[in-house]
Amino acid sequence: MKLSLSAVEWHAGSWKFRADATFTPGVHLVSGRVGSGKTTLALLSARLLQPDAGAVAYEDITSRTLSFQYPEYHITGSTLYEEAESYGVDPFAACARAGLSGRDEEDPFRLSRGELKWFQLTCLFMNRWDLLILDEPFSALDCRGKLAVCRSIEENRGGIVLVSTHEQYILPKTDCLWEMMSGELTLRGTLPDAISTWESAPAPIRRLREQGVIPANLTRDDILEAACRMHE
Amino acid sequence: MIEIRDLGYRSLRIGHLVIPDGTTALIGTNGSGKTTLLRLLAGLAPPDTGSITVDGTRAVPGCAGFVDEYPDRNALFSRLADELAAPLRFRRTPCEELDQRVREAAVTAGLDDLLERTMDTLSGGEKVMAALLSALISSPETLFLDEFDSHLDYDSLVLAEDLISSSGARTVVRCTQNMDLAAQYGRVIVLHQGRVFRAGSPEEVFSALEETCCYPFSRRAFR
Repeated sequence: MKLSLSAVEWHAGSWKFRADATFTPGVHLVSGRVGSGKTTLALLSARLLQPDAGAVAYEDITSRTLSFQYPEYHITGSTLYEEAESYGVDPFAACARAGLSGRDEEDPFRLSRGELKWFQLTCLFMNRWDLLILDEPFSALDCRGKLAVCRSIEENRGGIVLVSTHEQYILPKTDCLWEMMSGELTLRGTLPDAISTWESAPAPIRRLREQGVIPANLTRDDILEAACRMHE
Repeated sequence: MIEIRDLGYRSLRIGHLVIPDGTTALIGTNGSGKTTLLRLLAGLAPPDTGSITVDGTRAVPGCAGFVDEYPDRNALFSRLADELAAPLRFRRTPCEELDQRVREAAVTAGLDDLLERTMDTLSGGEKVMAALLSALISSPETLFLDEFDSHLDYDSLVLAEDLISSSGARTVVRCTQNMDLAAQYGRVIVLHQGRVFRAGSPEEVFSALEETCCYPFSRRAFR
């Protein structure tokens, strides 16, 4: 199973996106400044955007999906029931898992943005995917939702998971770290070695690094363990 | 100072609540009523019952800066330069002054290279930074900010905080899921199922939440 972006280029005016990368099974975290090209990477990887040059190739990927940064972009049904059905999942089970039992006849746009985000992600996570692309999955979620996303990513292990995010405090166990820098995708490497060169690292990791401490991975437990070492 | 009395709106119920001048973080689980309350405070929706007053006067729309949590809902115009200029145009600011202030604002947020771009070509983070600048450009006394920080990387967040703190706004009320950010505010209000669950200083509020994932992570890790 493999996703390859071979010498991929995409232009928007004078702004240029470039990537030459291979994604294999595991959790790939993509970070980067605002406007650096993370969403463009997600759209190209999902083949929702055609590159101006180069190629995006799938190998042994039979199921794929993209969770948009904005949950409202996913809505196709006028009720949560219809919305869940559009994902091919049991509507009542989806509502229950999303903490929305009994609200299956509600208009999705009546939900708060966080509720909508979690409902949409819940529907996605009720299926298994060879390639799962999550663009800002933590945005708008409360801490319980963010932790649940991390658990669901863990449960989807076996496939390729691309997570682009600005989240600072609740991150999934990650295999490989990438950075978008002014439109160019850069491989930082596997964890924990990649942490030392991570330019757009979250605040707690920057703080640990300043003290010469590198966490084993990016989960809350990893950060807490590393913080204990800092105090030793 | 904002004062709420006997507020009722959909499932939101607040008997009496005072939000003093300064910075207030509005936190709570998804669906707890944060956005609804923020929109009521900004005068964007009238309460079904009760009253909200700002310095003794009923809250009215258009007097405060407001940033919506949906990045696409903030933009009225297609070009970024027009979007930033809009609050000044509505106030009949002379063109020369307007152009200068738009340019200066864009430079402060590093968006000056994007001024001619259309809003739909901006990233989510760029859109919310634009919305923040647009909210700040007319120097409002009150700012209402709805979870815009979840679209920003760490460096952009630091920049946004600088812009807010140097804006001169007397009152800032902000919804956020970033508890470390909330802990830096003067006051924290916790909403739960449409009711005020707790309100007080960050120390008072978060000391009661230490056993939950809502507790600021930096306090837990780096105490």
